[in-house]
Amino acid sequence: MDLLQRFTHGEIDAFETLARQFQGDIYAWIVRIVRDPGTAEDLTVETLWRVYRARHRFRPDGNFGAWARRIATNLAIDHLRRNRPEQSFPTEPAGVPQPDPLLQRETRERIQQAFRRLPAKLQVAATLALVEELPYDEIASALGTSVGAVKLRVFRAVRILRKRLSHAGITPE
Amino acid sequence: MTEHNDREIRDALKQSFPPVNTELRRDLWPDVLRKLDVRPVAVPWYDWALAGLSAVMFLAFPRLVLVFAYHL
Repeated sequence: MDLLQRFTHGEIDAFETLARQFQGDIYAWIVRIVRDPGTAEDLTVETLWRVYRARHRFRPDGNFGAWARRIATNLAIDHLRRNRPEQSFPTEPAGVPQPDPLLQRETRERIQQAFRRLPAKLQVAATLALVEELPYDEIASALGTSVGAVKLRVFRAVRILRKRLSHAGITPE
Repeated sequence: MTEHNDREIRDALKQSFPPVNTELRRDLWPDVLRKLDVRPVAVPWYDWALAGLSAVMFLAFPRLVLVFAYHL
């Protein structure tokens, strides 16, 4: 009986081997989405726990890494949804681009704030596509959707973000 | 949306979100094992309600135990 079959039968040794083998990949994926190492570690542990709990649903001839990544993505989306900032984005009159580093930092923070207020699914698609520049098919696989749907989410995220930044008087340079 | 506008937003986001270190700093297996050990089995509320209702029925109508046992 191979490792994945032993895992689906609930053998803890087989699961330990898989967990140690894939924990780095799962963590790397989650930290790209949530951008916080501590949170990413917690979500990686939660992912592996859920993977073990859902072992009966895994087909031993399937791709364990892709399956675990999809569970991790759903958990990361839930996390972003729960921790989405509620406060409204302050508006200011539009101004000319400022070379002042303090103002640039403030602008970056406000862009981050506007981005984190996007719906979680749009935020994840935009983070992976625009910030991490990952291939669309890889993102689609992790989100359990089509490449077209990912492109649409990125498009919607950019449109909402541009509108909010414009409303706040911020023009991306 | 033009490609130019798309690139502007992409650049702004990349500046606002610096690269993260994707290397895992420690082995998480002990944490996973602890979670597997301590996580209690969740019993849904309707199971508790069913158990309570059954107990009340058996107390109120003890002969139902015989009917129930017959069908087991």
